[in-house]
Order: sequence, then C-alpha cells, then structure tokens
Amino acid sequence: MIWRGIACAALLGLAAPAVAQVPNDTTNHVGVHSCAGNNCHGAIQPVGNARVQQNEYFVWSQKDKHSKAYAVLKDPRSLRIAKNLGLADAEHSSVCLDCHTDNVPPERRGPQFQLSDGVACEACHGGAQFWLGTHVSGVDHKVNIAAGLYPTDQPEARAEKCLSCHLGNDKRFVIHKIMGAGHPPTPFEVDTYTAIEPAHFIVSPSYIQRKGKPNDMQMWAVGQAVDVKLRMDLILDPKNAPQGVNFELSLFDCQSCHHSMADLQWQARTSTGLPPGRIKFYDATATMLRVAAQQVAPDLAKALHDHMLALHAAAGENWDAVKREASAVRDAAQKLIPQLAAHDFTKDDAKAMTTAIIASALDGDNLDYSGAQQQVMALESIVVAMKGLGFADDRQIAALNDAMNPLFDAVQDDQKYRPDAYTAAVKGFKAKLPM
Amino acid sequence: MTRFIFATIALLFAAGTALAQTEPPLGVHLGVASCGGSSCHGSVERPANSPVAGNEYLIWSQRDKHRNAYNVLLQDRAIKMARALGLPDAASQKVCLDCHADNVPADLRGRQFQISDGIGCEGCHGGASRWLGSHIAGATHQQNIAAGLYPTDQPIARAEKCLSCHYGDATKFLDHRIYGAGHPRLTFELDTFTAIQPAHFTVDQGYVQRKGRVTDVQVWAVGQAIALVRRMDAVLDPKHAPKGLWPEFSFFDCQSCHHEYGAYAKPTTTGLGPGTVKFNDANEVMLRVAAARVAPGVANQLSTHMLALHQATQSDWGSVQREAAAVKAAAQSLVNEFANHDFTDADMRAFTSALIAMGASNLDSEFSHDEQITMGLEAVTTGLKSSGGVSEQQGAAITNAMGAVYGAFTSEKGIRQDAFAKALADLQRTMGR
Repeated sequence: MIWRGIACAALLGLAAPAVAQVPNDTTNHVGVHSCAGNNCHGAIQPVGNARVQQNEYFVWSQKDKHSKAYAVLKDPRSLRIAKNLGLADAEHSSVCLDCHTDNVPPERRGPQFQLSDGVACEACHGGAQFWLGTHVSGVDHKVNIAAGLYPTDQPEARAEKCLSCHLGNDKRFVIHKIMGAGHPPTPFEVDTYTAIEPAHFIVSPSYIQRKGKPNDMQMWAVGQAVDVKLRMDLILDPKNAPQGVNFELSLFDCQSCHHSMADLQWQARTSTGLPPGRIKFYDATATMLRVAAQQVAPDLAKALHDHMLALHAAAGENWDAVKREASAVRDAAQKLIPQLAAHDFTKDDAKAMTTAIIASALDGDNLDYSGAQQQVMALESIVVAMKGLGFADDRQIAALNDAMNPLFDAVQDDQKYRPDAYTAAVKGFKAKLPM
Repeated sequence: MTRFIFATIALLFAAGTALAQTEPPLGVHLGVASCGGSSCHGSVERPANSPVAGNEYLIWSQRDKHRNAYNVLLQDRAIKMARALGLPDAASQKVCLDCHADNVPADLRGRQFQISDGIGCEGCHGGASRWLGSHIAGATHQQNIAAGLYPTDQPIARAEKCLSCHYGDATKFLDHRIYGAGHPRLTFELDTFTAIQPAHFTVDQGYVQRKGRVTDVQVWAVGQAIALVRRMDAVLDPKHAPKGLWPEFSFFDCQSCHHEYGAYAKPTTTGLGPGTVKFNDANEVMLRVAAARVAPGVANQLSTHMLALHQATQSDWGSVQREAAAVKAAAQSLVNEFANHDFTDADMRAFTSALIAMGASNLDSEFSHDEQITMGLEAVTTGLKSSGGVSEQQGAAITNAMGAVYGAFTSEKGIRQDAFAKALADLQRTMGR
C-alpha cells in the first residue's frame, strides 16, 4: 500500500509541504497524469483490499462525460453555437472553457496539465500542488482537506462545486443568449447526478470510517438549498438585471415558453399565483426545498413558500421588488443549509417527504416539466437512501426501483412531457410504497 | 317572394316606428332573420332579377366559421379557458363575445337579433335599420353605403373591419393572458381569409358594375399595411405597456418562444442575437415587398424603422414607442399608396418572384414569414389569374404548384423547410419568363 503512494509521489516529483486549507483554490493544477498511475487511481479493475477502488481514473475516462467536456467543444454543434455567438470557435473561448474544462489560468497549469482533459480530477478535487504529497503518503482525509483537497464528500461543498457549472455563479452562467445559440438546457440535482456521473467511489466501510456515512436524502436536501441560494444570487447579480425591456430569460423556467401551443396546459397554481400567459422564475428546486425544510424547520419552509410566491408576483411589479424577494428567499435557503446538513434524516423523514412529493405531483399544483423532473430525482434519492439506511427490505426496494422506471420515462424528454402520463407513473410508484 | 318582402318590410316598419323616437347614432342590428329570407339572401338558387347569387345566408350558415363563433364559446375548451381567466364561463363574457358574436349594446339589438347567431350579417355589414329598406327597394350600392351599409368591398374598409377582431383594436385585443389561457394563435391575411371564409360573393360583371373591380393583389397589399398599422397602434397603446418585467408577449412572434430547442438561425431581418425574443414582423416583411415597387422611399423608411424597432426591444420602452410610431407612419402612408395604385401584371409577377425568393432562401426560415409568404403568393397569383396575366393552362399549373406549397406545412405551426423551398422553386418555374 505505502509503496504505491511512494511510487506516485516519485512519478510526480511533487512532495509538497502541507499548507493550511485553501478556501479558494489558487494552487497549481498538476494534471490528470498525476492521479492516473495504475497503482494510484488508474487501475482497470477495482483493487480488492485497497481503501478506494483505485479505478477512479478509469471510470472517469471511460464512463464519465466530464472527460469529454472539452472534446465536445470541437463538435459541429459547438462550432455552430460559437458562430451564433459571434465567436471564432468554442475550444478557445473562455466562456465555453470555463465549464467545459479545468480552465485555470496558464500560470497555474503544471507541466503535465492538459486543457483537453476536460473537467478532470482537479477541477472538482482542487489543484493538487500542496496536497498530493500528503495524499500519497496515506494521511487522514481531514489532513488532505486541510492541505487543500476539496471536500466533495461534504454535501454543501459538493453542491457548491457541482452547481458552480451545472447552474452557474457570478463568473460563469449559461445566459439565454448562449441557450438561444443552441446550448442544451442544464437540469441538475446533486444526488442523482452524483450517481449517474457515474460516481467513482463506493460507500465502503473504509469510506464511512474516513468520511462518515452519507445519506442520499441529506445530499438531495442540501443540494436543493444550495441550488436555491445560488439561483437567488443569479437574480441578484447586477449582470443579470433587466436591460430596458429585455430581461435574462435563463432565470426562468424553460418550458414556461418552450412548450407547444397545441396544449391547453395552463392551470392555476397555488405555488405561483400567476395568471395565464406569464412566464415564471424557475422554482422547481425551491418547491423541493420546501418539502425538505418542512422536516427540519417548518418556519423556514413557510418563509420560503411565502417569499417564492411574492417573488413570482414581484416580476409583475418591478425589479427592486424582485430583488427584495430574492434576498428573502436566499436568506431562508442559506439558513436551511446548516440545518439540513446537521439533520439526521430518518425513516420518518423519508415517509413524510415522499408523501409530500407525491401529494404535490397528484394535486396538480406542480405539473410543470421542471417540477416533475425534480420530483422524480427527489424520489430516486429517497429510495436510494431507504436502501442504504436499511429502511426497506430488498424486495420492497426492488419493487420501488421498478416503479421508478416509468417515472424516469415520463420526464426523459421535456419536449414530449405529458402531465397525465407522469401522474399515472406517480400513482404506480405510490402503490409500491412499503409504508 | 312577394310575401317575404312584405313580411320583411312589415318587420322593418315595426322596428322603424320604434326607432323614430329614440334612434341611436348607429343602426340597430336587426338580426340574421332579416337577411336570410329564401327570396333574399337565403335562397338556394339565384332569385329572379337578383344581382347576387342569393345563397349568401346559406354559405354563411353552412360553411362559414363566423356562424359558429358563438357556439364555440359553449365548448369545453372555451369553458376551460374562461376558468383560467377567472371567468365563470365564456358565452356571457364581453371579452369573449366582442369577437365571437355581434356584441352590440342591448339598445342596438332588434327583436330578431340573437347573440347566438355568432358573427351574423350585421357583424360585418353594419346594423341594417337605416339601410335595409333602401337596400330591399333596390337602391344603388353607393346609396346603401350612404345609408349605413358597411363598405366591405373597399379594401381599406374591409381590412379595418376584419382586423378589428382578427388582430384587435383599442377596445378589443387578444392579449397574451388570453393566449396563455388556451386561445388558439391568430393568423390573418385579408385576401386569403376572404377567399377561405368562404366568400359569399362572386366578382362577376354585375359586381364590377356595382362596386368596381377590386384586385386580390390590392386587397393583399392594403391588408398588410393596415395590419401593421394595427400592430403599431397596439404597441403604442398605454394599456399594453410593460407591466413590471412583462412586455405584452402577443406583440412578439409566437415561435420566437414556442419552439423546440436548437432552432436558432441567424435572422436576416432583425439583427437580433441568439436568445432574444422578436416582434412579429411578418406583416412588415410582406409590406416591404409590395412597397419596394409602389413606393421605394417609404419601403426604405419602413425597413429602417422596423430594424430600429427590433433593436429597441433590447433597450427601453420609450425607444420601442418612438420606433413603433415611425413604423406606423410609414405603414399609414402605404395604405394610401396601395389604395390608389393600379397594380399591373408586372407588379404581380415581381411580387411573386420576390416572395418565392424570400421563402426559398435559407437565410429566412421563420414560420411566421413562411405563412405570410404562402398567403401572399395565393393572393398575388389569384390576382394574376383573374387579370388574365397568365394563360388558363399556366393558371392551372400555378394552382397545382400552390398545392405543394401548402403541403409543406405539417400543421398550423410547423413547416418542412426543404419541401417548402422545393415547392417554391417549382412554383417559380410555372411563372415562365
């Protein structure tokens, strides 16, 4: 075991002094090669008795779209998007590179670093300059984190990291101009997306020993809180404020506009209070957050509901009213993050949240595609948590997993989404609930 | 025959007596029954000595959707829409009735008037109390008009009348709230919609004698100009100014938002970047084709200000209004130019080629344009056929080729661009040299 670490370090020649935790990564990114040695993270198959599978690089390079994130910029589609935006190409434009690769400034790129590796190890785990040494020497996880390894195992940190691209922040945001040029929508839910990445870790006894036992419900809940907080940050960002008649459409629910005119789909919703013909701020994650908040802080759940409702109404008033309500929503989400991160999500929580999600789907209040999509991912997280925490037996879990398939089918394509097919799938799932 | 006329006149007198005392400024709407007699407009065969076919009521009642305009308000869809708008139903609501029936005030409704007749005769031809008598007595068309018959034969008047509902005016307007509740998209082109209504008149010798010759191309051009004036009027109407973030979305091209992802193609007419919502400019694009030959100076003005209007949607509402006023002024002056222009075969051939070129170009693949191009071609080629500008054989080939142009539309909101371009190329070939 230890010799493997020494081999890695030798390979890299980078035995670095331990430094204090670096909150904002300003360290050098040494490149995928530094991690991918076949006796480090580059094994082709899981290694039996190691602390980790050691095939992490292999999983990433073979199965994970992050490894193709740069390559996709060379596709004809990306070229078309770039041209629509008036750019020469996509692969040299920082607006694209900032999320399609680990686009650290040139002075922070190590000799082995390659932009073409896409969203590689250090894009998520942080530049390894100062922690690779301690890491290969087999120190405790906390020591690595103190040395600058990004704590992707912690729900809030993971959500912040993933959402910094999968939603956006003050430095990078898929504004509607980019969407209009042809960029696909960017749906996200941190727990589900961790699983389908696919995850290059397994929660083994060693993982639990080193990092604690994760709870998918908690990952989901914290992820939603961080999502809502970041969304409100985007609304509050002066760069995204309306310019005259024009406002930033990416802040809104895609299907609010991009739906067929053939359907009679409008219905009154108590969650928005909007009249027909309006477009609504994207609120699917806020709606989910309310469900989780109800379990840990009902007062914050109420504040969230009230201020989201007021936010929808404020769009018909003026931008100051929008900002006022967005701040209030942000406050509620911000307060919820530590509470959700500290909460021990139990079987009772699973039951209550599942009931609330199903009720919200079946009472028709949240039958938008975006709402359905988040509901399905929430139910998946809860099912996975129930399995992981032993809240249901294998047969029950198998039945629930079967019932999840029609749900995934119903939300697979936003352009073909049918609320009636979705509610039928929800009823099918409800029938299989063991509780 | 005699009996019917007598009955009608008797009825009219009954109404007339009442009117004499408190006659309102507008004619009383007497109701469809006053027109639909079997010896008047409700005949199956042409009545003796009649200058018209006499089957106008039958065509309207059997084939014209105006007849069912009220009835659709009773259907599930309309009720669902009404509820979405917070109304108890549709059939009793002014906002619906104003265009789905001849919704004149109670004091303008005669005894036989029924709101359930939908858009009845007087919805377009005007309340008949002042002119029915002279009309039946055989007055000239001019005399009838002078007495209050609405001059639907005149392009400007017809456009104003149709567009008052088919686009909207100061008192009735289909805003995006109503669309959002489920109202179908409105689309309109005066000449095509006159034909597919279907028209309950034939332009025969008698018609020309009484009303003069109105050409399809003129109806098309005037219709486009007035449609644009109406659009700009709506933009300038303070009722439709932005509320909070929300502009009145119905000013914009429906497909600008309601499209599947990945449909962006750099527009040639707006100069707008990706991800922006554009004003519906299909009337202006058509108008530019017509104006280029009839009044090139105005055509330039029009395109300059329309481009500026598109740009203004990316700045403030004041700029939008300024440019809308300029576009309106250009469109308004074109109304007069077109109304006085003697459209020649050469004009029509030039319009046909310009419309075909625009539709076939892959630089302009906007549905709203393709739709207007198609209706414009229908109007202009119909004009060519009736003027004798093309031979009968050529006319048949054009009709055939237009069939393929229509065939490219997959639905009322979808089109196959390749099939459209090919059909247009085939149509161009039928035009000869």
